[in-house]
Amino acid sequence: MRFIVRRFLLFVAALFVISVVIFAALRILPGDAPSVMAGLNAPPERVAMLRSQMGLDRPLAVQYSSWIDGLLHGDFGISLLTGRPIGSMVAARCSVTFPLIVLGLIVAIAIGLTFGVMAVLTTRPALRSGFHLLGLIGGAIPALWGGLLLILLFGRGTGLLGVLPSQGFPETGWDSFRTAFASLVLPALTVGVISGASLMRYTRSALGDIMHSGYIDQAMACGYTRRAAALKVGLRLTMPQLVSVVGLMFASMITGVMVVENLFALPGIGTGLVTDLGNRDLIAVQSELFMLAAFFLFIGFLVDLLHRFLDPRLRYAVQERA
Amino acid sequence: MPTNSGAYDENDATRQTADPADGIGHVVTSPTANGSRDVPDAQNAASTDETLNAHVKKRAVGGKRAANGLTKKGWIWAIAAMVVVVALISVFLVIRQKAEIVTDRAHQADSVSIGLKLAPTNLDIRNQSGTSLDQVLVGNVYEGIVARDSHNNVVPGLAKSWEKSADGTIYTFHLNDNMTFSNGDKLDAEDVAWSINELMVNHYHSSELLMNFKSAIAADTDTVKIELTAPYSDLLWVLACRPGLVLDRNAEYDIKTQAVGSGPYTVAKFVPNDSITLKANPHYWGGGKAITQTVVLRYFADDNAAVNALKSGDVQVLAPVSENLAGPFEKDNEHYRVAAGDGTDKFVLAMNSKGAATSDIRVRRAIRHAIDHKQLIASRGGADKPLGGPIASLDPGYEDLTGLYPHDVDEARELMKEAGYTTENPLELRLTYANTYGTELGDQLRSQLKPIGINLKVNMVEFSTWLQDVLKNKDYDLSLVDHNESHDFSQWTDDQYYYNYSNEKVKNYYRQAMAASDDSQRDALLSKAARQVSEDAPADWLFNYRITTAMKTGVTGFPLNLNQTLLPLRDVTYVPAQR
Repeated sequence: MRFIVRRFLLFVAALFVISVVIFAALRILPGDAPSVMAGLNAPPERVAMLRSQMGLDRPLAVQYSSWIDGLLHGDFGISLLTGRPIGSMVAARCSVTFPLIVLGLIVAIAIGLTFGVMAVLTTRPALRSGFHLLGLIGGAIPALWGGLLLILLFGRGTGLLGVLPSQGFPETGWDSFRTAFASLVLPALTVGVISGASLMRYTRSALGDIMHSGYIDQAMACGYTRRAAALKVGLRLTMPQLVSVVGLMFASMITGVMVVENLFALPGIGTGLVTDLGNRDLIAVQSELFMLAAFFLFIGFLVDLLHRFLDPRLRYAVQERA
Repeated sequence: MPTNSGAYDENDATRQTADPADGIGHVVTSPTANGSRDVPDAQNAASTDETLNAHVKKRAVGGKRAANGLTKKGWIWAIAAMVVVVALISVFLVIRQKAEIVTDRAHQADSVSIGLKLAPTNLDIRNQSGTSLDQVLVGNVYEGIVARDSHNNVVPGLAKSWEKSADGTIYTFHLNDNMTFSNGDKLDAEDVAWSINELMVNHYHSSELLMNFKSAIAADTDTVKIELTAPYSDLLWVLACRPGLVLDRNAEYDIKTQAVGSGPYTVAKFVPNDSITLKANPHYWGGGKAITQTVVLRYFADDNAAVNALKSGDVQVLAPVSENLAGPFEKDNEHYRVAAGDGTDKFVLAMNSKGAATSDIRVRRAIRHAIDHKQLIASRGGADKPLGGPIASLDPGYEDLTGLYPHDVDEARELMKEAGYTTENPLELRLTYANTYGTELGDQLRSQLKPIGINLKVNMVEFSTWLQDVLKNKDYDLSLVDHNESHDFSQWTDDQYYYNYSNEKVKNYYRQAMAASDDSQRDALLSKAARQVSEDAPADWLFNYRITTAMKTGVTGFPLNLNQTLLPLRDVTYVPAQR
């Protein structure tokens, strides 16, 4: 319990520091939203007028405190340019990106874990190096190229097996569930295959290390076959490591899937963030970055908790100290 | 031990006796229960040979079953299951797709999807810059007192006719009868006068174009008088753009996310950076109602994504299609039509007239001679037109000025020598431009300027940074940007503009042109001014970008000219090919 409280306090402190850093960093960027809105031919007076309308002529401290004040009340602010509440903008983007990541991770885990374990268990050297090669190739595929290949194979209208939509997300969102799901299949495969390959390499090395450890000897001494020992004991022991890796993967995918979102014209978080930054929609960008940072930290927090749950040794260690 | 397990591995008959739960419980807990780790071993040691053997057998069988189930057949099953799932999804989608095609066959489609590139950030026609907003809203959702056709000429809009007073300062507009907004409100002279006055009071976008403005008054319900302080020959054209748009003074709506206008379409849905859905306005006052009921404008930041969308039938029109990706559509002329239209996009390579080295006119002239425009255009696909001056062919005062600075590397080298630079002692210049235009242009310019003794450093930045560094702070040597505005010559008469260019002769010509009483007089003066600007070489006009549009055969009524600024959708139809 004390662990959770300490972690939580750390979480809050980190968020505060992050908010200051984000705010400051964005003010240093050249360019601002009013000049983007005013365009190439606007007289300077018009830019100045827009700036005061957007409240960007107030002192920085005032701007910062009004932003934080909003955050504390759960109000992420209103975008300078689109005039929409940032919370709902981000929610709409999340409804594309998160399902994409989850689907991608499912594919990644299915591929990575399966092949990773198979690579360890196989006794034939040829097969083993085959898996090794597979991992290297899979990890080396650029997302853009892999996605294009999938479009060429399965994209409706373009593909050899033209069955899946390759462009865009239905305007009605998840209300038209089938179309929405179908439009995420190819992007999720692209993401999944690539991260699956790196998960495979992690699994192989983590499980490979355990295989040489006393745990496995012990299990085999109790009568397990090598295979059974690897699956029942080895996997269980590698779990904390793999959870960390998958957690990190999840976090990095939030922005990492941007290339894939772009290729498949999906209105997700990554593309949205880049557009907002390009437009210098500072209020939107700072709230979005803040949410992302909070989310990264939260994932880290969750991974820590999961570790404790999966690895009883950590719990005992704390108890002994206490 | 290994030999034992090997032997059990081959024995299938013992399966029924296995109790996997037992096996798991012991082995998994044993390594973690630190102190009690030796317990099972101790038990084993205490047993007789027979019991030990039995124990081992039991466990090993349990382990073996799990291993066998999960490794060989399990994998096969898992893979088979995955294949089946994929196959099911595929079949399901094929069936669904077929169903869609069948509905499409019903003669003329009641929905057309159009793929575009630049998405508007919001719908605020009063404040948000960018032609992507004009493209969607002007003429489709909002209408002006007058309008423009695809040749950039002024045609009647909400006003069916107008006259100008003898001294050119009072314009009287006669409005059409029985006009309404899409929400049912009546549109009369009060709305027109109110819209224009609001624009001027609040300095909305493009209000600076409405020069010499004094007042706009509703004389009666269908007559509007606009009074100027002095004649302004460009007034009608300006009123065909944003300054002339008429908004509903009684309607309350969020102008950033909604639009209430009098045009043939209404905005049904707006998803920023993704799509805008337009529906035909059932209350449209005019005779020419929208033919296609639903038009979906979809935005593709990625050129490849856009091309795939056209191929897969997600969109029926793509404007613009990247020249280098249009090839397959051009070849397949049975299913697609590819054509380029004129526009007013000028790719301007500005040379800072107050820059350290570029203030020397010999350097600027040398650069203009050194640039091989034909090569630049050819490498972009060949659709663009060379442009020798600040006015594009669809704008008044256009004249072919490409002869002023022909491609001549020797001449350029000579000029550079006079200015004191050679290839051994090169001049360092920095080219700042937005990354949206791609790296090729910068690379080509660098290699074209190298032989005349210019070492070009290419500095690619984000557009917002360009706005700050170049447009606002004028901190640049060379800059490249696409000036896509029309009737925008006034840039060259503004000392404060980022060109840092100032020539009294040009300003005089322009002043006279704007005060001219008829168009031919205006055009003659403008072309004189343009020639002067081009001679002074404050910039090089790399080319006049022409928009290439690709569409499915069966699409009609889609404008090719100016379609990135002005895209009237009223007459667009799509008749899918019969199979």
